[in-house]
Amino acid sequence: MYGSLCSRVTLENSRQDTKNMHLTKQLELFPDHRVTQMLFKDVKNAAELRQSAVKGQISGALINPKMLVNPFQVLVATNKSVHLQKTGKMKTRSLYSEIIFSLSPTNNISEAFKKFGISDGDDSVMVVLVHSRDESQLLSDIAAKVDGLQIPVEDVSLLSDLAKIKKLYKVTPQEEKCGTLLDAVVCRMATKDVM
Amino acid sequence: MAQEKSVAVSDFLSKAELIKQGAEARVYRSEFLGKSAIVKERFPKRYRHPVLDERLTHRRTVQEVRAILRCRRAGISTPVVYFVDYTSHCIFLEEIMGSLTVRDHIASIQQSDSCKEQELEHLAECVGHILAKMHDEDVIHGDLTTSNMLLRHGLEDGESSLVLIDFGLSYISALPEDKGVDLYVLEKAFLSTHPNTETLFDKLLKSYRASSKKSSAVIKKLDEVRLRGRKRSMVG
Repeated sequence: MYGSLCSRVTLENSRQDTKNMHLTKQLELFPDHRVTQMLFKDVKNAAELRQSAVKGQISGALINPKMLVNPFQVLVATNKSVHLQKTGKMKTRSLYSEIIFSLSPTNNISEAFKKFGISDGDDSVMVVLVHSRDESQLLSDIAAKVDGLQIPVEDVSLLSDLAKIKKLYKVTPQEEKCGTLLDAVVCRMATKDVM
Repeated sequence: MAQEKSVAVSDFLSKAELIKQGAEARVYRSEFLGKSAIVKERFPKRYRHPVLDERLTHRRTVQEVRAILRCRRAGISTPVVYFVDYTSHCIFLEEIMGSLTVRDHIASIQQSDSCKEQELEHLAECVGHILAKMHDEDVIHGDLTTSNMLLRHGLEDGESSLVLIDFGLSYISALPEDKGVDLYVLEKAFLSTHPNTETLFDKLLKSYRASSKKSSAVIKKLDEVRLRGRKRSMVG
């Protein structure tokens, strides 16, 4: 299943078990939904990927990892998006665009896409898929489209642009003393509809 | 569509651990997205007119969530909000691990007989300071009691930090009267729950006074409200 991926993982550990690089989590509220995150760096075809996404050819959300602090942030956005989809209250047109929108601290959709979606010049991308059961074929299909190096999802914190995140989410200095940056980010994502 | 969602949440809650049932809401413990979470469910009140119930419940949920974020922005520790379901009025919050309510903490210190006066005084000062910060943000907690304050034990240095919880009756107000009433509620709860703590509460107010820029108006109102209370003669 990951045979096609191994050739892309050109690092020293060609024997590395690439299966563990992605992160799959079942949503407790929606047990038939699973969220898989895959992280890639040294991506060469961001423009092509973005085009594919715009055309709806990729059944996944392509996120700019620099705006991510932790995989939990993605889970929170995805959980909310699936909930809104199920209750018919999404603000955007598809589940995947809704995930990107949910990451944003504001209710401006185009701004959300600009900041959290990928841009043509990006060299890293976080792919988020929502699927049922184990769709390993789906995962490897999507991964095959990315011309880049897959790295463990947990490494997203190494790619974070903390200054940009703090600025965009308007995290106050006092807030940073009473909690983590992830706390501040998640809180805003969860409450933005009523602020 | 809304039906479908209610089923998902009620299914989820049926497997969660109910830890408290109040008149307003039920509180559960569960795992959510890999973290330990508290779910506060404001269930429908059949004794109310349905339209009114929906409006009230929605408003209370929104106010609670707004107060939490406002407090966080000001640097006051509160549980993190993970998710709000406005169809079933459930708030999914961070579970504060390794914590003790201030109520239990004070009770245990008082019972233990040892001379931990200083520690209690320090605690009172911290509470006064945090409440001052909160009121300066114009957040009225609405239900200040020592059960709604948690002491979270810091991991490395053993230092504890105060976490405010249960913003269910909170609202935004700049009025000294409202802040005075907020403190009055705490005073009543404090003195009735913890006997012989008048000096301790005084320390709390002293710290409040020192920490807030707008405190004199608030304390003045507190004095007025004290005169107003039950079994009080409003003479002169």
